[in-house]
Amino acid sequence: MKEESLNVIVGKKRFARWMALPPVLILVALVVGPLGFLLYSSFFDWTLTIPAPPKFVWFKNYVEVFKDIRFWNALKNTVLLMILGIITQSILGLILALLLNREFKLKKVAITILALPIMITPVVIGFNWRIIYHEHFGPLNYIIRLLRLGSGASWIADPKLALISIFIVDTWQWTPFVTLILLAGLQSIPRQVYEASNVDGATSWQIFRRVTLPLLRPMFVLVVLFRTIWIFKIFDPVFILTGGGPGTATETLSLYTYINGFKLWRIGYTSTLAVFQLIIMNIVATIFVRKFMRRGSK
Amino acid sequence: MKKRYLIILIVLGLLLLTTIEAQKKLFPDVTITAFCDAGHNALPFEWYAPEFEKVGIKIKLITAPFANVYEKLKTEFVAGTGAYDVIVFFPLYLGEFAGMGYLKPLDEYAKKYNPRMDDVAKAFAKLYCYYGGKLYTLPYDGDVLSLYYRKDLFNNPEEKAKFKALYKRELRPPVTWDELIDVAKFFTRKKGEKLAGKVLTEDFYGYAFIAQRGSFAYAWWLAEFASRGGRYFDENMKPMINSPAGVTALQRIVDVMPYCPPDVLSYGYEELKDALILGRIAMCLQWPCNWKKGNDPAQSKIVGNVGITHVPGIIKDGKLVFRAPMPCGRVLAVSAASRNPEAAYYVAKVLSYDKSLADVSTPKTGLDPFRISHFNNPKAFAEFAPESEAKEYLSALRKNLTYGYPDLNLPGSAEYIDVLEIYLGKAYTKEMTPKAALDAAAAEWEKITERLGRANQIKIYKDLLQSWKEAGILE
Amino acid sequence: MTNEKAYEEFKRRIRREKIIHWLQNLLLLFFIIVFAFPIYWIFIGAFKQKGEFFHYPPIFFVNHFDFENFQRSFELGGAKGVRDSLIVASLNALFVLILALFAGYGIGRFKYGGPNLSFFVLSLLFAPPIIAVMPLFVIFKNLHLIDTYIALIVSYLLINLPFATWLIKGFVEDLPEEIESAALVDGYTRFRAFWKVTFPLILPGVVVATLFVFVFAWNEFLFALIFTRSSVRTLPVVLTELIGGHGIQWGELSALSLVATIPSILLVIFFQRYLVRGLTFGAIKG
Repeated sequence: MKEESLNVIVGKKRFARWMALPPVLILVALVVGPLGFLLYSSFFDWTLTIPAPPKFVWFKNYVEVFKDIRFWNALKNTVLLMILGIITQSILGLILALLLNREFKLKKVAITILALPIMITPVVIGFNWRIIYHEHFGPLNYIIRLLRLGSGASWIADPKLALISIFIVDTWQWTPFVTLILLAGLQSIPRQVYEASNVDGATSWQIFRRVTLPLLRPMFVLVVLFRTIWIFKIFDPVFILTGGGPGTATETLSLYTYINGFKLWRIGYTSTLAVFQLIIMNIVATIFVRKFMRRGSK
Repeated sequence: MKKRYLIILIVLGLLLLTTIEAQKKLFPDVTITAFCDAGHNALPFEWYAPEFEKVGIKIKLITAPFANVYEKLKTEFVAGTGAYDVIVFFPLYLGEFAGMGYLKPLDEYAKKYNPRMDDVAKAFAKLYCYYGGKLYTLPYDGDVLSLYYRKDLFNNPEEKAKFKALYKRELRPPVTWDELIDVAKFFTRKKGEKLAGKVLTEDFYGYAFIAQRGSFAYAWWLAEFASRGGRYFDENMKPMINSPAGVTALQRIVDVMPYCPPDVLSYGYEELKDALILGRIAMCLQWPCNWKKGNDPAQSKIVGNVGITHVPGIIKDGKLVFRAPMPCGRVLAVSAASRNPEAAYYVAKVLSYDKSLADVSTPKTGLDPFRISHFNNPKAFAEFAPESEAKEYLSALRKNLTYGYPDLNLPGSAEYIDVLEIYLGKAYTKEMTPKAALDAAAAEWEKITERLGRANQIKIYKDLLQSWKEAGILE
Repeated sequence: MTNEKAYEEFKRRIRREKIIHWLQNLLLLFFIIVFAFPIYWIFIGAFKQKGEFFHYPPIFFVNHFDFENFQRSFELGGAKGVRDSLIVASLNALFVLILALFAGYGIGRFKYGGPNLSFFVLSLLFAPPIIAVMPLFVIFKNLHLIDTYIALIVSYLLINLPFATWLIKGFVEDLPEEIESAALVDGYTRFRAFWKVTFPLILPGVVVATLFVFVFAWNEFLFALIFTRSSVRTLPVVLTELIGGHGIQWGELSALSLVATIPSILLVIFFQRYLVRGLTFGAIKG
């Protein structure tokens, strides 16, 4: 009330600082330590499997990364998963969103069931698909044989198939996420837009292409953003399902970093790999901000 | 007056009783955290927990997946929190763990609670338990590969006649590696064909092996490589895995693959065991626990037909030379950071000696014999099999042990083996020829040696060779 | 005449639309079955005996509803797993919620820190967690924080705070400043304006952010694997302990997996109406 209004209305800047500084400080503190460690140790040859002290080696680790076939293989696997994943999940997600964007009974139930894969623990998903993918006792191959679509495949042991198997699991888990976002977008398109186009005599397909899709563009941006981040860091399902195998067929960047860190204990090299990933993702982040977020209230 | 005396007597009596109870407890109520790989080999910790409580030790069991044992242990050792007291691991890591000071030397405790190391088969004692002259571990599971085969198929008169007609010699479990291919090919039949008088309801295969990286897959290649005189390195730590012996051994596996189940490349321990005891293959190389499980009606379809013999070899100078790899195995050790090392040692000793016969002879675990007292006790193994078969089993194990071939127990062993298995895998999938794959692996091995310090590795390897000689398993 | 023709046209069109409608329903049903099947498989797995996992042909139904697997999995560490996961996830969600609310509002409404801070937060979102594991491991080891709740709560902060801040920031930016100005004119302090006016309006975003943060912490595996041993054991770690290379306990694994999924399912059901709106409302502009 009027007496309370005598309380100074704090200036914008002070209030902002008062609200945002503590969390930002905490965040910066949490980042500075590890980041410093990464940068510093990346210049050392430091292994914990032998009792030798760390050795300063300038940029030797960085050069080694460039020459490391396994690193490029891991990068290739990760990028493949990203491209395949984003394209497939976007298309599939769109189809599902369109299907859900109608009126029908049990709509709520359908959406709830569809939202489940997103919430399940990735470790659980890894185990579960291990059983499903089992060559002999797994339901997938059984159904394939039942439908006479073939004699079943070696989903996890065949190096040509293993990455696809990971891709399938990832698609199963995250297409619903894409669907939900696109559905929200579809639902926010006002009816008048459709009605106006109908009056103009446009066909369904034309409406879809010229009106719906462009209006969904911001949603697609979101989708691509999240999927890019999340596929790049994929770890749990790969760790449980294939462990990077067979051979190195499903070794992703995260897994390769983990192996160098906690199996080979090459601390220096692991940090170098980490720095590489940071640089890559920073470039991607910059591209994103420049290209897609121009229209934002930045 | 008498009443007072009575009361005093009763009180004294009660006091006496409590001191007797306290004496039964060797340890002052400590909690010992035990670490073991998850699954059936951790069961003994659960079984004997009540007994340990009686002496004042409460057991807390932590397990980890088989393939992650190294990381979990190494992470804990580096962190040094003392979270684990007694640990079970694979002797493959002994060189690194003992060398880095993660384990507590046990000689002192062995004097107090005798683990009867004299009773342990020489090969296991030398290879698994000592490092730098000190005792670091007690054996828990003694692994050596043997050749398993379906007795009923090999003894079947129809099959014998068919084989003789085709190959002009008697049907028998392969004694040489060349024979292996023939026999495997002979027994590979499609669904609908006849096998030992019965019509097959699904495809049957002659052979199978472990190919999964991280499951000691390299041992299946090592068997022939070693029998041809192969060695991991020469005295200057130059890798010798890509010698002609190594290439031949790898080519052999590639050649036998058409006679293995189509999913053989995904085989780990479980899959190989099931392939044999659920009746899908005729023979394979496997660990001793396969015999127990094969004769357990609760798990197996081939009870009574589990044949076991020495691994195949080569004929050299008219004599048969074979080498049985000894991959995996398990030992008990005490963490250097443990806050209750004596109690931890006590637990280890009980499991390694007192309870070991019961543990290695039951099909509920995958633990295998390693004591002379085990080998001399076929009755204990005759839970589901006649004693004569148990005798055969134990003697086959002893034979293979006499010509055992050790795991590579150097610092960085996990890395060397992982690289080898990656390249073996590439040859299996025909991505690379055996020679190219082994050459690539050897090149990687050189890089690893360089990185870990060649001079140091040479020194440790020399000590290793010496201890192998003393164990009598290297000519 | 023309009237009849038009009527026929009309009826044909209605029938065609009906057919399309039902075809679409069929397609949707197909997808739902495909997506639900793996979940169904875990469900029946929880009630299977060991032998039933290695049975050919595979068993597609529950033969008997006994809860032995659940009981056994709880004995094998499941109980502690649930407890520890609850502790870590709840505390983490609480801290992140408070911090992200403040930071999101400060950055969103007042552009605190300018574009640099914004980009900093965004780039943290992009960073894969694996790069932080080794440094944090070394730091925690030196601070004797290995195997503590604090280690997990703090490291999850590092991952969740940027995400939640970014989400809430987006919501705040979408809210026109005039609403708060009106409140200020009416005599509210800035904080009161935020609390009584802004906060209720960004509630969907806050709810969704908290949901995601909780679920993420509940499901997190990598950090838990490396930073905890025996004193703290969250569900994902306990689940992996049920895999032995020599004998995977599929029944107990399925049972515990089911239990692990329950909180997430409950959250989805309760907050379903916020889910879709919250994810996108305002986050479009970044």
